[in-house]
Amino acid sequence: MTDLKCKIGSVEFNNPLFTASGTFGYGHDYPDMVDVSKIGAIVTKSITLEQRKGNPPPRIVETPCGMLNSIGLANIGLNNFINDVIPKYDSLSTKIIVNIAGSTIDEYIKVLSELESSSTDITGYEINISCPNVDRGGMEFGVDEKLSFELTTELRKLSQKLLIIKLSPNITDITKIALAVERAGADAVSAINTVVGMQIDTNIKKPAIHQTYAGLSGPAIRPIALAMVHKIAQVVHIPIIGIGGISNAQDVIQFLLAGATAVQIGTANFNNPNLYKDVEHNLIKYCKQQSVTHYSKLIGAVELYV
Amino acid sequence: MVISQAEIRNNSEVARNIWRMEFYAPEIAREYRGPGQFITLSVINRKENLIRRPMSIAGAKDNIITIIYKIFGSVTQAFKTLNEGDYVEVLGPLGNTFNLEDMDYTPVLVGGGIGLAPILNLAEYFDNVGKRPVTIIGAKTAEEHFVKNYPKDNLYLSTDDGSAGTQGTVIDVLNRINNSVKNPFVYACGPEPMLKALKKYLIGLKVPGQFSVESYMACGFGFCQGCAISNGENYYLVCKDGPVFNYNEVSFD
Repeated sequence: MTDLKCKIGSVEFNNPLFTASGTFGYGHDYPDMVDVSKIGAIVTKSITLEQRKGNPPPRIVETPCGMLNSIGLANIGLNNFINDVIPKYDSLSTKIIVNIAGSTIDEYIKVLSELESSSTDITGYEINISCPNVDRGGMEFGVDEKLSFELTTELRKLSQKLLIIKLSPNITDITKIALAVERAGADAVSAINTVVGMQIDTNIKKPAIHQTYAGLSGPAIRPIALAMVHKIAQVVHIPIIGIGGISNAQDVIQFLLAGATAVQIGTANFNNPNLYKDVEHNLIKYCKQQSVTHYSKLIGAVELYV
Repeated sequence: MVISQAEIRNNSEVARNIWRMEFYAPEIAREYRGPGQFITLSVINRKENLIRRPMSIAGAKDNIITIIYKIFGSVTQAFKTLNEGDYVEVLGPLGNTFNLEDMDYTPVLVGGGIGLAPILNLAEYFDNVGKRPVTIIGAKTAEEHFVKNYPKDNLYLSTDDGSAGTQGTVIDVLNRINNSVKNPFVYACGPEPMLKALKKYLIGLKVPGQFSVESYMACGFGFCQGCAISNGENYYLVCKDGPVFNYNEVSFD
């Protein structure tokens, strides 16, 4: 029997396979074909204080082994989320982590404290300090050690629930931000958000995405993400949630070996939102082959050349 | 919504660069709710292309789903190399359907360019319920028309170069026949410039109608939020709110 129970902070998840923010809606409304009990946790789309309609189209384009997106944090806003979505979490057979975005520290504080007082059905928060697709906020926190320390410190004061900070890869040294948010009391970091990219439609000589620059995701960024997770794992003591182009058990295992405690699957949900069942099955199979009784034995177990 | 590996029963060119594929997909046929719905399609094991291509359903009969696709990029190039007996991966059915309930009008079907699939599907639907629609189909040239597959009655063609039917656009045809159609309701699908012009034309005549619109999308079921279309103030998602809209609900500006 292989144990996939995954512990982050004081929370135990059924398995280390989570959904990535922005790739699984709010978690309450998904196609019938999906068995959500095979998902360790659903991380919601980013919630902001006010409703956001998002960026003008075109918002997405396919790229080699990946895609660019610039949705622009389109979401229903805090109030609608509290009134219309949270009540539906009652019947959900997995855990919910709410992703929060804002353009000022105050906005993050308002959203988190409102959520804190409104619901016990939320397991924790993932703080988006790394969205590349909005004019203000988002990434400017994620590339600044001092700002990300301050923001994490303030949010930590407000909640005992799981506090995860989602890191940007669009930075010289991701470990500095990871260390800063760890010092400020984060329970975990998730890495990476999308990588800034661009594509041009040569027929019309225009960017393929309305906002010119966009976030690259999918297998194209997996090696970048893996290196960053491994680097962070060398310096922090809190758990790391690996994200970036994961679509099967082999990918998951790579991130575990590099030092991730859990992973988030993102772009692959667009192709098959019910892939968690197979990924879990094949992860267990690998653990058995490796005579590993608890998957956590794989965390950071990559054997480097000396 | 299901994901199914579907066996191709037919895959052939029906006009220049326009292909028709038929595949056996009983689970999808079972859930299919009517003309307007779409599927997304991918070539199995083609890992460099993550995103399935959305294709409107052109027919769903006896567990066979038919689509029409135009050769456009490397993925559609790959579709055309597939043979009878090969498999494709299909997700669907997705999206809403045309409103077919109110039968107190004459259906006018307008298709342009690659937007023909739902029009052919509607034509078959009306044929089955014993209603005679007017069908108007536009293309750049005669070579892009595949008349063999078109409805046989009340058919009008247009081409940009005049090589088949009326020279001009589908709107030129509409203009010509408008007075002879009693109480029309327009169902349209085609490239954005055509829909934009058609919307303006129909508003002027106060003729009601529905458009099936196209968009890039990564998923087809509301997760990626990529397929936004403006309604003037806000955005709809083509995949979940559409792909069929009353034409006054969507903005092409």
